Amino acid sequence: MSRGGRRTYAALSIFAAGALVLSGCSKGGSNASDNNKKDQQNAKRQQASIKFGGAADSTGPAAAVPGAKTGGTLEVLQRDSYAHLDPGQIYVSDEGSLATLIHRGLTGYKATNNKGSGHEVVGDLATDSGTTTDGGKTWKYTLKDGIKFSDGTPITSADFRQTFERLFASFINQGPTYLQQWMADTNGADYRKLLPDGPYKGKHLPNSILETPDSKTVIFHFKTPHPDLPYALAMAGYAVVSKKGDTKEKYDKAPVTTGPYKIQSFKSGKSMVLVKNPNWDPKTDPIRNQYVDQMDFSFNVQYEDSTKALLADTGADQTGISFNNSVDAGNISAVLGGDAAVKARTVAGYQPYVGQININQSHAALQDKTVREAIAYALPITPIIRAFGGSSAAEVAGGYISPTVSGYDASFDPWGKKKNPGGDAAKAKALLKKAGKLGLKLTYGYQNTPEGQQYSTAIAAALKNAGFNVQRQDIPAETYYDQVGKIDNNYDIYASAWGADWPSASTVIPPLFDGRAIADGSPNYSHVNDAKVNADIDAANKISDPVKSAAAWEKIDQYLVKDVINAVPTIDYKQVQIAGSKVGGLVYDDVIGGIDPRRLYIK
Amino acid sequence: MDGGPEPDTNTGTVKVEGRSPGQLMWIRFKRDRTGVISAFVVAFFFLVAAAAPLISKLYGKDPYTIYADVRPELFDSAGVPVQPNGGISSEFWFGLEPGNGYDVFTKLIYGIRTSLMISLAVTVAVVLTGILLGVTAGYLGGKTDFFIGRLIDFLLAFPSQLFFIASMPVVVSLFVSPRDQTPTYVRVVALIAVQWVLGWMSLARILRGTTLALREREFIEAAKVSGASPWRIIRREILPNVVTPLLVQTTYTLPYLVTGEAGLSFLGVGIVEPTPDWGQMFSKASTELVLQNDITYMFFPGVSMVVFIVAFNLLGDSVRDAFDPKTAR
Repeated sequence: MSRGGRRTYAALSIFAAGALVLSGCSKGGSNASDNNKKDQQNAKRQQASIKFGGAADSTGPAAAVPGAKTGGTLEVLQRDSYAHLDPGQIYVSDEGSLATLIHRGLTGYKATNNKGSGHEVVGDLATDSGTTTDGGKTWKYTLKDGIKFSDGTPITSADFRQTFERLFASFINQGPTYLQQWMADTNGADYRKLLPDGPYKGKHLPNSILETPDSKTVIFHFKTPHPDLPYALAMAGYAVVSKKGDTKEKYDKAPVTTGPYKIQSFKSGKSMVLVKNPNWDPKTDPIRNQYVDQMDFSFNVQYEDSTKALLADTGADQTGISFNNSVDAGNISAVLGGDAAVKARTVAGYQPYVGQININQSHAALQDKTVREAIAYALPITPIIRAFGGSSAAEVAGGYISPTVSGYDASFDPWGKKKNPGGDAAKAKALLKKAGKLGLKLTYGYQNTPEGQQYSTAIAAALKNAGFNVQRQDIPAETYYDQVGKIDNNYDIYASAWGADWPSASTVIPPLFDGRAIADGSPNYSHVNDAKVNADIDAANKISDPVKSAAAWEKIDQYLVKDVINAVPTIDYKQVQIAGSKVGGLVYDDVIGGIDPRRLYIK
Repeated sequence: MDGGPEPDTNTGTVKVEGRSPGQLMWIRFKRDRTGVISAFVVAFFFLVAAAAPLISKLYGKDPYTIYADVRPELFDSAGVPVQPNGGISSEFWFGLEPGNGYDVFTKLIYGIRTSLMISLAVTVAVVLTGILLGVTAGYLGGKTDFFIGRLIDFLLAFPSQLFFIASMPVVVSLFVSPRDQTPTYVRVVALIAVQWVLGWMSLARILRGTTLALREREFIEAAKVSGASPWRIIRREILPNVVTPLLVQTTYTLPYLVTGEAGLSFLGVGIVEPTPDWGQMFSKASTELVLQNDITYMFFPGVSMVVFIVAFNLLGDSVRDAFDPKTAR
């Protein structure tokens, strides 16, 4: 999933002359103490490959959270309202967090400890994480007994047929497309040809692709092995949709849910109320708990506002939380620096995103590898880390694979950025001289946000030092990814960020670097088309052993960073989140990439 | 409001001496202590602005160096100076800017320079336009007066702040190739042009009124009768008599334009980083990063701007009093 497009910035604040009187003194530093070591440990646990659980692991109920009590109302402060509630349309992370409470699919991630670190993929509505006998071409799922929608109707295989067939209908256009592509055995958007109108005009997927022999069995038949299917099915985008209650487009505003909570009311852009779902049976659910009676969401709460409210910890905010708002860059010091009691109310961890500065391979001057090497050496990472709020919000990335993805190699650092994050201008200048390109014009497109303005000036200054003629160009934040996603764009270098869809690099390397998928809007922003990379991607996709495939992906990652140099990895995104003092069960979940909403209780 | 000769009633001196209106004004101005102090303050600001490159050379720093990368030991990972009070030290007199770590002292004097240069240019343009159109409308009257009057009404009815914000990016993009960075001078010229087009009306209107009143006076009639050309009448008879409102208005316009320019940069449509600018420093000071971690940063740009604007307005008052003692106090 790409990042950043939807951020809105409220940068206007009023300069009050009276504030001058107060502005006498301030103490130095922002107090953002180093959480690095802990974060690294948090991430390390992730690299240990996630196990695919069997029937015993998939039996409910979920392990109780120590000290948890039932009852109470949780206030949830969110910046963005939920644009989509239909599982098939859910892809972005804030809707993903909500989906953990209301939607269930065939598989899901079960926490194996109370720290948000250990996970295994287990059967959620299915009895196990899936069985395959031919290396991932055929997958068989059996549904559990006693599973129901919130309206009381039992969930059967017919609902799953509906769920997967409607993904081909044209109105489902925001969700993930992995499963559809695997079923149709194509790339890009061609999969829709398999079932152009979904199930709505009487046509259905043949048994050779999706088989539902009885009301409890779902069988997938793929032409090529897809060992990642249990991961993919755990995405909110593949959660079950009620066949009886399928209202097509309208389902997006009022879905029939399956999780421990159901939607009592939803006013888009304003508020949402979740209440307990009486038809949810904890004995069928190995993943979720249901402690809180009710959750009241308010939307349009900016990061500064949620941080200040939760920091103040008064009234309803004592039982307040935000699933997805981070502590804003300006307040990180106030949160982490002072009071130990405040710090105890925070959690921190990695987000799945890794940033990179793309080097446009379509421009002739940049096809010279020495020039790209010079850019890689010259590029400073410190300005980006500074702009996002320091070491608790970002850290130097070695490769494109995030610490939360299996295969991550912490020691990989070909350009010396971890040792010297300010860049190496002298070395870059020497390389540029060698290439005979001193004074080469580089058009640098940056996102016109306060952060973007700040780090782009510093990056431009560093590249200038290294002998480039840098031309900064601002791009409006709202259309940034559309502009840099065009193949024929004017920019030489530009930043982007990408996060894995599940903890395997198979959701990072192919979409970003497969040269055969270059198109307008494709996330291959650097337009790299390297024959060896393409071949290696195909080979890695066929490996069914998770450990071996992780190693293969990391090898491609290192080859790209070190030898192709189509982009320079910049930062691994991190975040700090805060909750009110009466919220218990606070855990940063690596798979969700934020606070785990399924285990919260009111103290 | 005419600046014609008046009997000198203030002094009961024995010796009668001929003095020009300008001399009288100067004498009265020198007696006004507030005015003199304000004049020195304003002159000091202009001097600092003019000598900014020299000062920064002596001081040994420039406003473009990113000290957060050059001297990383002075900053934490979020770019906030580690030393108390925003990193004020014998080396960095006014401290360092949170974020990229620019030197606040040189940034401030260069920022003042940018803002004052732009405002001065706009003032000159506004005054010239105001004289030309205002006096023409007042003296010629008739259709010319009607059309200029309607143009003034039309432009005055424009929501100028909104127009600035909407038109700045358009004006800028007209001149720049999509592969190149917007050069600073284009932004400067655009800022001047936009403020000029929407800034001359009030002066023109005042001059039109004054001219209209003067036109009917006997000495103009006399000049007309003796066969003077309209150009000569405007130049020799009318212009010297509108100097008072002109000067007074100008001394009020300049600080107004300085705050206007700062406002545009504050909103992000004026001068942008890394070019130093007064208003841009306020916008930096209002970010959460600065408000929470380094409130001292706001002190220098804030205090200097308040001092400048207050001094300039007091100066304007004194100038008016000196020209026109009857309306004073």
